[in-house]
Order: sequence, then structure tokens, then C-alpha cells
Amino acid sequence: MFSPQKFILHKETLWLSPARCVYWEDEKALILSDLHFGKTGHFRKEGIGVPQNIFKEDLQRLFTQIQFFKPSVLLIAGDMFHSKANKEIDLFLKWRNDLHAIDFHLIKGNHDVLPDKFYEEAGIKVSKKKLSVKNFCFTHDINEECENDDEITFTFSGHIHPGIKVNGVGKQSFMLPCFYFSDTYAVLPAFSYFTGLYKIKPGKKDNVFALVENKVIKMQ
Amino acid sequence: MKLKATKGYDVVHAWLKEKSLSPFQFQQETWQHIIDKKSGLVNAPTGCGKTFSVFLGSVIDFINEHPKNYKTKSKNNLQLLWVTPLRALATDIGRAMEEVIDELGMNWKVGIRNGDTSISDRQKQKRQVPEVLIITPESLHLLLAHKNYTDVFKSLKIVAVDEWHELLGSKRGVQVELAISRLAGLNPKFCLWGISATIGNLQQAKEVLLSPIANLYQQSPDKFGETVTAQIDKNIQIESVFPDEIEKFPWAGHLGIKLVDKVIPIIMNSRTTLIFINTRGMSEMWYQALLTACPELAGVIALHHGSIEQDLRSWVEENLHTGKLKTVVCTASLDLGVDFRPVETVIQVGSPKGVARFLQRAGRSGHRPGEISKIYFLPTHSLELMEAAALKEATEIKLIESREPRLLCFDVLIQYLSTLAISDGFYPKDIFEEIKTTYCYRDINDEEWQKILQFTTAGGVALQQYDDYKKIEIIDGLYKINNRRIAMRHRMHIGTIVSDPMMKVKFISGGFVGVIEEWFIARLQPGDIFTLAGRTLEFVMIKEMTALVRKSNAKKSIIPSWQGGRMPLSANLGFMLRKKFDEAGLLLHKKNKKGIDREITELQPLFELQEYLSHIPKQNELLIEHIETQDGFHLFVFPFEGRLVHEAMAAVLAYRISRITPITFSLAMNDYGFELLSDQPIPLDDTNSYGLFSPQNLFADIQRSLNSVEMAKRKFRDIAVIGGLIFTGFPGEQKKARHLQSSASLLFNVFAEYEPGNLLLRQSYNEVMEQQMEEERLRKMLERIQKSKIIITFPNRLTPFCFPIKVDSMRENLTSEKLEDRVKRMQMQLEK
Repeated sequence: MFSPQKFILHKETLWLSPARCVYWEDEKALILSDLHFGKTGHFRKEGIGVPQNIFKEDLQRLFTQIQFFKPSVLLIAGDMFHSKANKEIDLFLKWRNDLHAIDFHLIKGNHDVLPDKFYEEAGIKVSKKKLSVKNFCFTHDINEECENDDEITFTFSGHIHPGIKVNGVGKQSFMLPCFYFSDTYAVLPAFSYFTGLYKIKPGKKDNVFALVENKVIKMQ
Repeated sequence: MKLKATKGYDVVHAWLKEKSLSPFQFQQETWQHIIDKKSGLVNAPTGCGKTFSVFLGSVIDFINEHPKNYKTKSKNNLQLLWVTPLRALATDIGRAMEEVIDELGMNWKVGIRNGDTSISDRQKQKRQVPEVLIITPESLHLLLAHKNYTDVFKSLKIVAVDEWHELLGSKRGVQVELAISRLAGLNPKFCLWGISATIGNLQQAKEVLLSPIANLYQQSPDKFGETVTAQIDKNIQIESVFPDEIEKFPWAGHLGIKLVDKVIPIIMNSRTTLIFINTRGMSEMWYQALLTACPELAGVIALHHGSIEQDLRSWVEENLHTGKLKTVVCTASLDLGVDFRPVETVIQVGSPKGVARFLQRAGRSGHRPGEISKIYFLPTHSLELMEAAALKEATEIKLIESREPRLLCFDVLIQYLSTLAISDGFYPKDIFEEIKTTYCYRDINDEEWQKILQFTTAGGVALQQYDDYKKIEIIDGLYKINNRRIAMRHRMHIGTIVSDPMMKVKFISGGFVGVIEEWFIARLQPGDIFTLAGRTLEFVMIKEMTALVRKSNAKKSIIPSWQGGRMPLSANLGFMLRKKFDEAGLLLHKKNKKGIDREITELQPLFELQEYLSHIPKQNELLIEHIETQDGFHLFVFPFEGRLVHEAMAAVLAYRISRITPITFSLAMNDYGFELLSDQPIPLDDTNSYGLFSPQNLFADIQRSLNSVEMAKRKFRDIAVIGGLIFTGFPGEQKKARHLQSSASLLFNVFAEYEPGNLLLRQSYNEVMEQQMEEERLRKMLERIQKSKIIITFPNRLTPFCFPIKVDSMRENLTSEKLEDRVKRMQMQLEK
């Protein structure tokens, strides 16, 4: 069974979910990043026949997470939609209508190129570069925005699709998606399964949680 | 019609006589068949007039058809289509043909069509199709992608496929098969001639090529067509270069360069020497080492490999012709091509991996009739000397490898259908009938065909109303691509040679150096020094997909290691090698060393140590070594069957052992054997060894061990590119399509999880079975092992046999433990 892991950060209680998102208990916020909705559709429109079920499953997983944590808001750290509009996004909108009680808040990433009107109609609040909630800041690419100061003590970001390389005896190794926490910022795993992994190199004091099947495993 | 009674023969014969030449028997035979409108295969080595066998046949035929006005008749449209695998060959062949046409006073034009052909030349060829068109398989498919392409082939009389032995066994060969099937469908009157060097399966080579033509005549493909053989026997002399001292713990790539001093006298004593090196990286090192060892060579030594700029390569070839170069360090890039007459000697550095390639390289020297081809074998580790002994005997008894034709390559078929869809479109019924006449697709079934059509028109599994998949559209039954962007992208990706993304390397002051893999450049920091094309360069920056560099005088530099295909040892060479080890084992107990290869006697100290620590396997024995070191518990197995079979066997063995007890292995292999390494003792002993090497359930065990290994994923990369799922772009030339980037491994995972029945995915598994696993060869090996004696030893340290494996390792994972357990066990070993 799927089991989230509790993680206390700056006195806030977070639940790290193996389904690639974080639940922030006090704020009732589900934090996630890099959903890349419409990516399979975008590929297919250009004649690359990737299976669409991967998108369907991403959507279902999101829905399951919402049912489990019952958040009042979704904080999305960018790359919610992969590219221009296509029919796949219509399917998302259908889901969105059933979840009208929940706020969606997107901090735009480099992939979010849809016109403002679209977000408006989809009931998605948009921040261009960053968003602050209490003393947490949310942005897409950690290298570009959100300098921490007295008010902001911690930043959540996405963008790079972090993966952690696990080595064993005799040079064997494999990569797993992960949550990465330094003392000032976090990088979230890409929510979409249709994404690759970028190998991160954590420092000694950093926290890294790898995602394996239905578990979150603290690596360091 | 009797050849000698024809006007065409008279004209050509008179022309030859004027040059004091007379036609070879095999040429005349071919000409006779051509004027009889027959098809077939010419078996002749390079440099003995094979081009003229078919080309002059075509000329004779034309003269016979137009005896009165053959000289003046121009604009005859395409008469002869000449398919060649190498661009570099095209120019030389074209020049030779033009010379003949000129001297005969004919009005034919010769056109060349390949990636280097300029747009204006293409336009010219389009307005007036030349009588002879020299083309690569890729450009031929590009021609099929043109609107109204059918007009080009209407007048076609002869199709010649040169170097067919090189194309056969590759997907480029499949491209040729498909193109032939289309041409046969368009114009059922042309003759088809293949030209091939000697290979083990010449008869099959003919069948594969001629299959669609045989179908036209409703004849059985295995009996159809003529075979013409050139009776030219070449004398080959093989000599090994011996190190002064035999190292007892050999390791690959280490010894070779130390022998550079032994190479200098060979170079000095011969007019021109070609030095064949197996990898581009090593060739750069050799070039530097030779220059350092013998500075007088400056100016008369050159480097030739696939990453070097085209102009520079042409310059090298030109100077090889004229004999201005004393020596050229090269890779497989000079395996093919026209002959360089000044070349007297060839040096092969490291294992050539197969008898055929060795002979081909040897044949690059001593080209004039009656001359001897002289080849030196220089080992890169001492054990490789055994291969020299094996090669000598294999050459003597002509144990030449076969090239296995490829079967059911769905990726190439998908690409081909898209190609037809961007020109005039196609009707599936017609094309299905055509492709079934090819050897490659003769066993395709309706279901597979329907799946392919479905994949190209509907894109596999979709969410119906939420889908906008678009590629091939069906309009009144005609399958066509109308989207210009998709058509354009497809045109740029026609071909089956998939290389790593490459980047151009240029001097900051201007001037092109060559191309290099993107991943190599990506690792460099500005200021880093590396070597390319024999030059020491300092990396400055990347600008517009080009790596900018400046000259450097630094002494130390990084040599790029190109990830070329590592060739495995052929079955034939493996067989011979086992025989030689058998001789070596027997020799230890013999006093009389007469008649034994010097390679074996020189290696005596190594064999003595091997025998002392472990054992030397006889021909009917399989050696297994259990060794414990700081790294863990090693199991070394020595079947001498080549890297690929070892890779497969290692995976199967690891899987079978892991059923006994939960255990994780890392695998390593070379051409002689393989290694399983674990952090716990490996339960293989006298009681279970035969069972673990049993051929029973082999297929199932391969399938099961496959999922865990990465082999299929690696195969999938090329398949995904050929099948149009991934766009690679050209070196530095084209911006990659925005938002369309993905990696092959990601796509592989996606298909495996969400569309396991996908044909391209299935193909990657099939290719692993056929090519990688070489299931057939694996099975034969296991059957051999069942009949032989398994010898298990427990040496207290690494042995001469296992040492090279330890060094030359490439590891893969296989586990039976739960992923989670493994993560927990490994987590403390996080990469620093």
C-alpha cells in the first residue's frame, strides 16, 4: 500500500507522497511540479505515436492524491502544461470541473506557454515568477527566482526532474526519482511519468528521499 | 544471343585492346548474362575489375540496342542505377565510368546522388536524368520520397548493388531490398546484379537480393539467378609482432602502444603502410605515438577515421593514391573503397574479431596481380597473440564468416511507408504484395501488417476523443502524409545509420576540424585539452551547436573514447581460438615443440602461470574460476564465444543462480569469457554446474533475464530513431524540435508500461534475441558444454585468463531481490 512519509521542515509538517507530491498539513496544500499535461498529445500531433494512457494515469494519480489528502489548494511549481493546447487538455478540463472546490495555483514554468485566457477559463490562478505562502516561497527554477530573506525561509522548486543515482557493489547503479531538500530550498520530483531524470549531486547535510514503487525512502 | 557476335562486344573489346587489356573470364560471363537479360551475383574481390563486369555489360547492352547511333544518342534517361554503400566510392567509380564513356565517344552522363550532392546538381538531375546514377541506399529512398518519382525509373535497364556483402546483414541492406521491391513493382523489366566479396553464405546473399525479381518470374528465390565467380587467388602472408617480454597479466589496450618501436622498421621497409586500429580513440593515440617515436614521419603520416573532416579524409585518400604518404593510421573507415596501389603492407592492431574482416584488410595491400598481401598482427595484450595463430589457420582453410540477413525489421518498414506517403502516397494492398516478395518481410503476417498501418495512421493506443494523432492520413484509400512539417522532418531522417548526436569542432579563428560526440564535449570545461584528428586542441566554448577550440601546445590531453559499435568475436574465429588453446594446453606437457605456432610457444610463460594457478581448457572443456578478492566473489567462465554471446550467457547464468538463492550480480565480459561478481559467495559447484548450463528452457530464461537487463533498451534507441519516434538532428545544423525531445530510455519505459504490444518495442526484444543474444549460437554453445567437461578451479588470486575481463569490463545489473531491499542495502554507498 501507498504510504506517505512525514517530514518536519521549519516547524511545518509535510507529508512526502510516493505519488510524487507533498502535502502541507497546516495549509491544506498539495505541492507538486512538472505535470507536463498534454505532452503525449503534443507528441502525437506531430506524428509520434506515444501511448496516451500515461497521461490518463497521471491524471488518475492526481485525483487519487486529492481524494487522499483532501487539500483545499494545489500549489504547482511550474510546467503544468507541456506545450500548446491540444485535445488532451480538454480531458484535464473535464476533471477540473469536478474539482471546482479546490483552488489551483500555478507558478509558471518554461513550458507553460498557454494564453492567459486559458488559465482564467480553467480556474487556475497564475503567478508569473513566484508565490509566497507564509514563509515558504514557490518557484519553477531555483536558479532564477526567490531569494530567501527574513520573511522567506524556504523555497520549493521543480524544473530539473531530480533523480538520485544509487550505487552498489561492482559498479552497478540505477536512478530513482527523488525529493531533494537543502537547508534553504527543495526540488520536487516531476509529477508526470512521461519525464526523464536529471542526476543530482547532494551535499552531505542535504536530505534526499527516493521514490520506489509505493514507498518513500530516506536516502540521506 | 552470343556475346562475341554482338556489336557492343566488338566495340568494348576493341577499346580494351587499344589499352593492351583483355577482359577477365568472369567479366565476359557477366556480359553474356546481361545481354541475355538475366540477373545474378558477381563474386569478386575489390580491385580486379568488378565494376567493369556490370558497368561494361550495361554499355554493351546499350550499343547492341542502338548499334547505329550509340555514340550520338543522348538523353536516354536512366539506364544504370548503381547502388553503393560508401559515398567516398561514388566519386571514384563515377570518374572511372566517365573515362570509359569518353573514350568510347558515347553521350552518356554519369550522376552521383548522395548526401554531398549539391542542390543545383539535384535540380539538374531532375530536369534530365543521367544515364548512370550512382547512389547510396539512403539517397535511393530519398528519391522515392520525391513527387512523381516513378518517372525516373521508367527507362531503367540495370540495377547494380555494389559491395552487397557490406549491406547484407544491416538495415541498409533491408533498405535496398525494399527499394528493389518498389522498382520491381514499377518496372518489371530491369536486370539486377549484386557484386559481393566472398562470404560464408554467398548463395543466400544472392537469394536475399534477387528475391523480388525471382517473384516477377514466378521462380523460387533460392534457385533464381546466375552466380559469376572471379577465379582470383590471393596470396596472403601473416606475421605477428612479438613483444620482447610476455606479460603474464595481460590487459586490453595496454600493450599495443608499447610496441610502437617494432612498427617503425615495418613502415620504413615498405612503400606505404596502412595501420588498422579498432577504435577512433586508439587511432588518435597511435598517430601521436608514432610521431613521437619517429619524428621523421612528420608530413608523410596521416590519420583517417570517421570523425575527421571530409576534406581532410579526401586529401588523405588522394595522397594514398599518389603514394605521397608513407603511412596512414586508420579505422574501419578505410575498410572499403577503391584500392590504393602504393600500399604494400598492412598492420592490424588488436583483434580484427573475424576472419572476413582480417582478410579484407590484408587485401588492401599488394594489389597488383601476382603480388603478395602482407599483413602484420600486433596484439594489444599478449593473450591476443593466440588470435594471430587462430587467424593464420582460419585463413588457410578459408573459414570465412557468413552475413546473416535481417528479418522483419518493422522500424525500417515504418520508415519506408512514411517515405512513400510523402511522395505520391500508396495503396496498402499493392505495397503489402510488394514487400512480401522481399526476403526480409516474406514471413510478415496480416496481423503485423495491420498493426503497422494502425501505428502509422492512428498512433497505437489512444484516448479516442481526446486525441489529435496525425501522421499518415487515408484519403479515398490512398495513404498519404499531407502535413508539410511532418514530411520535412521525415525527409531529414531517412536512413538507418544512427549515431550519437554529434557536434562540429571548429577553430575560433575559423577552420573546421571534425565532428565529435556531444556527450564528450558536454563533459569538458573551458581550458580543457583534448585530441581530435591528430591535433591537440583547447576547448574554448560552445556556440551555435559548434564547439570552438584553439590550438594548444599542452603535453597532456584527453583522448575522446568514441562509443563505436564494439564488434564481437565471430563464431568462426572463436572456434579456431578454442582449438589453439587446446594446442597450447597440450604443449605444456610436450617436449617436442616442432610444428607449433610461434605465437603459442612465445606465450609459454603465461600458460605456465595459468596452469599453475588454475587450468588451461582443452577443446572439450569449459573452465570456470571462483576467485575471492576485495571487490567480492568472482565467477569467471571461459567459453571463447565472443562478447555478445557471453553477455547473454552471463545474464542467463545470473538469472539461474539467483533462483537458487537471492543474490545480486554485476556482469562483465570480453571475447574470451565473462564474469559474475557478487558480494556473497556464488553457489555454483560440481553438483549443479551442468544444470546451470543446460540448454533446456533457454528461450524462457533469456526472456526472463532480459527484462532485468538493459539490452533491449539499448537496441530500442536505434529502432526509435529509424521508426521516427526520436529526432536526432544533424551535427550542429538544425535546432531540435521544441517540446518534442525525449530520450530512448524514457520512451522505452513508457511503451513497456503502457503499450507492451507495440511493434517497435517487440522488435527491440527480437533484435536482442537474434543479434545480441545470438540465441542460436548460445544454444549451440550450451549443447557443446553439455558434452564437454566442466572444470571448476579456485585460484587464490586473479589468473592471466581472467585479468583482461576484470579490466575490460562493462557492467549490467541483474537482481532477484526486491528492489526496495536492494535500495536499503545500497543507500549508504551513495555516489559522492
